[in-house]
Amino acid sequence: MSMGDTSLVEWIATSLLVLGALFYLAGTVGLLRFPDVHCRLHALTKADNLGLLLVCAGLGLLACDWQVAALLGTIWLLGLLAATVSAHLIARHACRDHSATSSRTGSA
Amino acid sequence: MNLAVDSLIGLGLVALAWQAISGRSLFRGIVMFVVFGLTMALAWARMGAPDLALAEAAIGAGVTGALMLVALRRLVQLHPDQPAEPKRARSRLALPIALLAASLVAVIGLGAVSVDREPGRAGVAVMDNLAETGLSNPITGVLLVFRNLDTLLEVAVLLAAFLAALAVFRDQEQAPAPPRGDLPLVGALLAIIVPLTILVSVHLLLAGSHEPGGAFQAGAVLAAGGVLLILAGRLQPASGMPLATALPLVLGLLVFSVIGLAMMLTGAPLLALPGLWAVYLIEAAMMISIALTLVLLFAGASGLRRERP
Amino acid sequence: MISWLLPGLVVFLLLNLAAGLVRVARGPTPADRMSSALLFGSTTVAVLLILAEWMSEPAMRNVALLFVMLAAVISLAFFGMPRDIGAGDDEP
Repeated sequence: MSMGDTSLVEWIATSLLVLGALFYLAGTVGLLRFPDVHCRLHALTKADNLGLLLVCAGLGLLACDWQVAALLGTIWLLGLLAATVSAHLIARHACRDHSATSSRTGSA
Repeated sequence: MNLAVDSLIGLGLVALAWQAISGRSLFRGIVMFVVFGLTMALAWARMGAPDLALAEAAIGAGVTGALMLVALRRLVQLHPDQPAEPKRARSRLALPIALLAASLVAVIGLGAVSVDREPGRAGVAVMDNLAETGLSNPITGVLLVFRNLDTLLEVAVLLAAFLAALAVFRDQEQAPAPPRGDLPLVGALLAIIVPLTILVSVHLLLAGSHEPGGAFQAGAVLAAGGVLLILAGRLQPASGMPLATALPLVLGLLVFSVIGLAMMLTGAPLLALPGLWAVYLIEAAMMISIALTLVLLFAGASGLRRERP
Repeated sequence: MISWLLPGLVVFLLLNLAAGLVRVARGPTPADRMSSALLFGSTTVAVLLILAEWMSEPAMRNVALLFVMLAAVISLAFFGMPRDIGAGDDEP
């Protein structure tokens, strides 16, 4: 594992992968530390999707193959779609949840 | 590093399994079970079994998690007065059963560790004769050529399970439909994901001959598309079973048996397949049957009808 | 290429998941538990993609594709749940 034979592309890929992992860490910290469900969703979906993009970009550079790169790109786009729709649905459910609790405590 | 990865996955699986069954609420248990499925797919991937990882991903993410959530909804809506939470009192049998299960796991684990690493004769025979079948994925070779009686009976068991479930569907109470409201994103989601499930399942079916994939994985992915349509209210459970539903339901069993028996007329042994085209034909028919069976089991009905948004 | 980079990333992401499990366990609302399941989904996809490169097993990318494609199924099922589902499981 000498550093001499590591090419420029591999250095770029390594930095992208490490940066991506750090964004995943940021998402987890947000999930654990933010005060309510809407903030947590916000932290999670934004940071994780950026993390996934960086990881996909790094792996695409390492694989050095157009087919693999296209598949990684598709996976990232589908990840965006899934995160968008899921966050929307979960936030809607949470809104219903909150209005229900406040009206129940109000009438009781 | 390998040891760190594998022990994290292994410990995580045990912890998640424990959390899934011992949780204080059913909902929490379901979320733990969904996460368990994700981790299980990672475990299959680490063990070099991508076929199983594919099946776990399709069934776990596409069908079982949603099935449990829908079942919990039905439980809460039909019996709003009874708490849907598990009883806290522990059965007296729990400890002996746990000890028995633990010793069984220990015995199997010790057996697996002490066995010598040399491949058995069956595996070597499969690899030696694989070229004759025209397939290059040994798993599809075993499922469709070398041990295809087992596969035929598995499809029959799936059909039998559905028929048994049909008896329960008859006299169930109908739960009120879930709230729909205006969900602009769901229409877009369906427009992208449902065609994609068809594309991916056909890809998995065709890829099954030379790389991980096959009829079971393809059928599960196709079923996930149907589950998505049911959850969005575009497909509704219906009573009665028209021929257009009954025929695809038995198509896999029918095509498999007809080809296998027809070959006996030419003097070949039972279920000897005439060629690679027969493998593809049987797999396509099995994919349709498996997908429809899973979707109907999810819907809890003998038929489906379309509902325009 | 640094040989321990990919396995190191896998360990890092798995530890991330273990931390996220705290939110599933603690809740407090069902929406919190469900959003942690979302975190698990996207992190598992990244781990599978890295495993595919590390173990030279391209089929793992298909597994990741299936997870990311079907991630919204469970969210849609969750949306149909009545609001007081899982109520009473968040007492300290």
